[in-house]
Amino acid sequence: MFRMMILMFGLLAATGGFPPASAASAAKARVHVIVIDKMQYGPMPTGVRAGDIIEWTNKDILEHSATARDGRFDVDLKPGASGRITATAGTLAFFCKFHPTMTATVVVE
Amino acid sequence: MNKSLFALVLTLGLGSLAGAHAATPAPALNDAQIAHIAYTAGVIDITAAKQALQKSHNKDVRAFAQEMARDHAAVNDQALALVKKLGVTPQDNPTSKSLASGAAAEQKKLAALSGSAYDKAYVANEVAFHKTVNGALSGTLIPSAQNAELKSLLETGLKLFQSHQMHAEHLAQSLK
Repeated sequence: MFRMMILMFGLLAATGGFPPASAASAAKARVHVIVIDKMQYGPMPTGVRAGDIIEWTNKDILEHSATARDGRFDVDLKPGASGRITATAGTLAFFCKFHPTMTATVVVE
Repeated sequence: MNKSLFALVLTLGLGSLAGAHAATPAPALNDAQIAHIAYTAGVIDITAAKQALQKSHNKDVRAFAQEMARDHAAVNDQALALVKKLGVTPQDNPTSKSLASGAAAEQKKLAALSGSAYDKAYVANEVAFHKTVNGALSGTLIPSAQNAELKSLLETGLKLFQSHQMHAEHLAQSLK
């Protein structure tokens, strides 16, 4: 009986009929865009949840990167290019490996 | 010896310029001269980077040189597009001349070095060069620029040079 209930929950959650919090965030992953221009990262998104997408868009004339301090991601961004990661929970501190004065932090819940 | 002749010439050239600017109202730089100085500084760093790519075998030094060549070419392309759009012809001036002659002397000095001695000297000079240009940008060139787009490009240039200086300083530490 218990197994049946779990199965039912799982099925409902997967089809979106019953949205517990964890499944909902996976189903409704939001995209948070960070714009890079003139040697700086634009405003940091807020309310980012694990499973959401963080996207960097490089509008600068220079090549940049979004490189995690802890090494968990390293996104190269040529001028005009975009790159994305799936956010994992925690405080994501990142910098540009070419321009170390460019630093930022996003909090992922 | 890290305080190279090049850095000295730069400091004298730009320092006296900044001093004259602060002490007396004349002779202010016009936008055509400012554009020429900024462009010249970019060309100098690209030339130094190309020399580094010919001479250095150090992976980190080569990556740094590639970054310098790429970034300064991008900014100079933007500067050329801007002066064309504004109908301004960059105008040679004593500061540009001093920059160019200092750079030529430094390049000759670096050409005589090799191996880690070259790497250290190149990176030390990059630190000094960026520091000097940063001083000129923030102290003289940006405040004197009249055109808003030129001023904005110079401000981005200052952030870029500051970042390059930090990168060069990190690299210099790692070469010790």
